[in-house]
Amino acid sequence: MSSGSKERKEQIRLGFMTAVEIGDRNYVGGLLVTDRFGRPLEFQCTTPVKPNRTQELLYGPTLVPFILGDLLGKALLDRVSVKPSLIMTSRVEMLQLRTKVAIPIIYDEASAESGSKPVQSNSSQSVGQKIRFGRQTFRMHEDFTEDQSAVERISQQLSDDANMHEPLERVGEALRETMSTVTARPRVA
Amino acid sequence: MLPDRDNPGNVTRAVSYDVPCPRTSDFPFDTSLVELSPAVDIYSSGANVALNRWPSVECQRVDAGLAVWTVPSWKPGWPKVHTVGLAFPEAIEFLPPEKPKDDEKLETIRPKKKKTDSESEDENAVRRPTRLKPPSDALSLEDRLFYILQPPLETMLAGQELIMPFEPFPHQYEGIGWLFSQENALLADEMGLGKTMQMITAVRLLLRGGQVRRILLVCPKPLIPNWQREFRAWAEELPVVTVEGDTARRNLIWKMPGVPILMTNYEVMVRDMEAMPEEERPKFDLVVLDEAQRIKNRDSKTAVVTRDLKRKRSWCLTGTPIENRPEELVSLFEFMEVVNARATPDLRQLSKLADKYILRRTKDVAMKDMPPRLDRDAYLELSPAQKYAYTVAEKEGVVQLNDMGDQVTVQHVFELVLRLKQITNFDPLTNESSKLDRLVADMEEIAESGGKAILFSQWTKVLDWLAVRLQQFNPLIYHGGVPTKKREPILAEFKDDPSKHIILMSYGTGAVGLNLQFAGYVFLFDRWWNPAVEDQAINRAHRIGQTSTVIVTRFICNDTIEERIDAVLQQKRAIFESVLGDGDVEDASRSLNAAEIFGLFDLKAKHGKGTRKIAPKVVKDASSDAA
Repeated sequence: MSSGSKERKEQIRLGFMTAVEIGDRNYVGGLLVTDRFGRPLEFQCTTPVKPNRTQELLYGPTLVPFILGDLLGKALLDRVSVKPSLIMTSRVEMLQLRTKVAIPIIYDEASAESGSKPVQSNSSQSVGQKIRFGRQTFRMHEDFTEDQSAVERISQQLSDDANMHEPLERVGEALRETMSTVTARPRVA
Repeated sequence: MLPDRDNPGNVTRAVSYDVPCPRTSDFPFDTSLVELSPAVDIYSSGANVALNRWPSVECQRVDAGLAVWTVPSWKPGWPKVHTVGLAFPEAIEFLPPEKPKDDEKLETIRPKKKKTDSESEDENAVRRPTRLKPPSDALSLEDRLFYILQPPLETMLAGQELIMPFEPFPHQYEGIGWLFSQENALLADEMGLGKTMQMITAVRLLLRGGQVRRILLVCPKPLIPNWQREFRAWAEELPVVTVEGDTARRNLIWKMPGVPILMTNYEVMVRDMEAMPEEERPKFDLVVLDEAQRIKNRDSKTAVVTRDLKRKRSWCLTGTPIENRPEELVSLFEFMEVVNARATPDLRQLSKLADKYILRRTKDVAMKDMPPRLDRDAYLELSPAQKYAYTVAEKEGVVQLNDMGDQVTVQHVFELVLRLKQITNFDPLTNESSKLDRLVADMEEIAESGGKAILFSQWTKVLDWLAVRLQQFNPLIYHGGVPTKKREPILAEFKDDPSKHIILMSYGTGAVGLNLQFAGYVFLFDRWWNPAVEDQAINRAHRIGQTSTVIVTRFICNDTIEERIDAVLQQKRAIFESVLGDGDVEDASRSLNAAEIFGLFDLKAKHGKGTRKIAPKVVKDASSDAA
C-alpha cells in the first residue's frame, strides 16, 4: 500500500446522521462522526424544529424532507468540525441533503424498517440504486450515481463485516437521551 | 333582480317599486248582477288610474368583477437551527489544520439524471452487540453521551486489535462494559465466571482510551502468581510490576514513574503505606481490590489503610461480598465511597446500593451451557474406633464446659468443636477413618477413568496424613506450608501429569483464585465454617473451561458435630441470598453467633453477645492454615 493510500485510510471519517420525532412534530437531528473503527470523534445534535400549521400546509409532503435534509442535516454538517467522508442515514428524507453538499450520502433502508419511527412523508424520495457498504446494503441518491465509486473506495478500507447499522442506533439513542435530559431540566426564566 | 328593459344585457337592481294591481276590466265579475241592480254612480277617485300605472323601476349599474385582496406575503422562513455538540479527544488528529473559508459556503450540486437497477438485498443476521451504558451516577449530559456514543464492546475490542486467548462469553462482555463505565464498582460474579479476565480487559480498554494511567491491584499474596499469569494471557502488552523485595526496593517501585499497573498484596500495601509520609504516598487513577472481603471489617487496619489510598476509581472483586453478615458490605461500600464514613445503612438501603454498584451473575444464569455441578452429601458412619474416641471426647468436653460454669467462653466451645471435627476425620490412635475408606473407594474409580480430583481440608496435618495413605493415586500437596515459588509447578504438574490423580489442598490456600477446571471431582473432607468459602473451593474446578460435570462430595459423619454444623451452614446460605438475591430480607441477620456455637452442645450462652467470628481467617498465607 502506498503512503498516500495509507494516509487516506487513516483519515476516513464516517458520518452517521439521523433524526427523530419527539412529541408532536418536533424534529431533532443528530450526526455522529466516527473513525473507521466506529470510535466516536464528534457528535452534534440540533435543537428541536417544529413546523407551524402554515408550513405544514404549504410544504405538504415535502415538509419532512425539507426539515430533515435542508434544515437539520445542513445545520449539522455546517456545525461539525470533523467533516465526514461519507454520510449514512436511517431517514430517507435526509437523502435530499445530497443536493446541497458534496459529500456522498447513503440511506440505510434496513435501519429505517427496524427504526422506532417509520418514515412519515411520502416515499417519493430520490432513492436510487443499492450499494453494499460494510455488512449492510444502502441506497444512494438516484441523481448521484457517481457516488458509487466514492463509496466503494471507502468501503475497501473497511472490514467486510463492519456493522454500519449500529452507529445509527447510537445516534438515535443519544438524541433520545439528549431530549429526555433537556425536557427534564427545569426552565430558567 | 329584474332585467333592464332598455338594456336587457345589464343586470339591474330594483331600488324601489309598487305592487302592480290588476285593472277592473280584468276582474272576472259576473256582470248580470249589475244589470239587475239600480244604477250606481261610481265616483272617480283617481285610484283606478293609479291601478293602471306600472310601478316605477329605477336601475343602478353594478360592476360584475370580484375584488381580490392580498394577505401579508409568506416566505418559507425557518428559525435558525441550533446544535449541541460533543467532541471526543480522538477527533483532534482528524481536524483540518486550517479551514478555508470557501468550505463555509453552501454548495449546490447539479444532479445528473441517471437511473440504475436495484440489486438484491442481503442482510446478515447479527448477534446483539454489548452496548456501554452510562453509569447511573453520571449526571451531566456530556458524560452520559460519552458512554452512549461509544461503539459496542465487541467492535471496540476488535478495532483495537486486542489479542485474546478466546472469545469472551456474553456475560463477560457485559461485565467488561459495566466495569468500564463505573467509577465505583463491585464485581461479585460467582466464582468461575471470569472476574479476573473481565477486570483485566476493562483495565486494558481504560488504559488504551487514556482514561486511566496508573492502576494499583491489591490481592492476597498467594494469588499474585495467578494474576501475573492471567495478565500474561489476557493482556500481554501491559507491563505489570509487582511490589516486592526489601523496603528500599519496594519504595523505589512505588515511586517509579510510567508503570501503568502495580500489583501488591494486602500486607505489603498496609505496611508500606503506613511507613510512607502521607504527602509521598502514590496517587492512582484506579485501585482494584481482589478478594475484597479482606476489608469487610471496616475498623481493621487493612480496611482503614485501603480507604486512605489516593485514587479516582475504586473497584472491588469478590465472589463472596457477604460471608457472614450483610453489614460486611458496608465496609466495601465505604471504600468505594458510595456511603459516608461510618454510615450504617439498613438492609433496604443496602439492597438499593447493591442494585446500583454491584454486578453479580451466577453460573445458573450466565453459563447455561456450562456442565452442571452435582453435589452429593456422603453421610458416613464413624468407624468403631472413631465412634469410641468421639463419644469419649464429647462427653468429657461437655462435662468440662459445664464444670467451667460462668467462665466458659465461645473459644472453649470452639476448641471442643475442632477436637471433635478432627476425630471425624480419623482416629488419632488407630488411624481408622471412614472418610478415608470412602475416599479411596471413590478415587479408585476416578483414577481408573483417568480423572482428577481436588480434596479440601481445614488442616494441613490431615492433608499430610492423607498424602501418606493415598500414594497409589500420586497425590500432590498444596497448602500454606508450600513455598510460594513451588506452588505454580505443583499446579502445572497436577494439570499435565496424567498419573497425578489428586491434589490435596487447604481451604486457606487453595480456595481462591486458582483455575483447576481440568479436575472433575471435588472432595470436601471436612466442612469449613462458611458456605461461601466452600463454594470458592468447589469453584476451582467448576468454572469456565470445565467440559464435564463436576461432582462434589461432602463428607458428613452421622450423629456428630458435622451434622449440626451443616444445619447452621445451610442457614447462612440464606443470608447471602437476602441482599444479593431474592431471599428473605427479614431473615438476613442470621449468622453463626455465640448462642449457636453453644447450641451445638445444648449449652446456653453465658455471655449472650451477638454475632462473633469464630473461624480462622481464610485468605492468608502459610500462617493461615490451622495446624
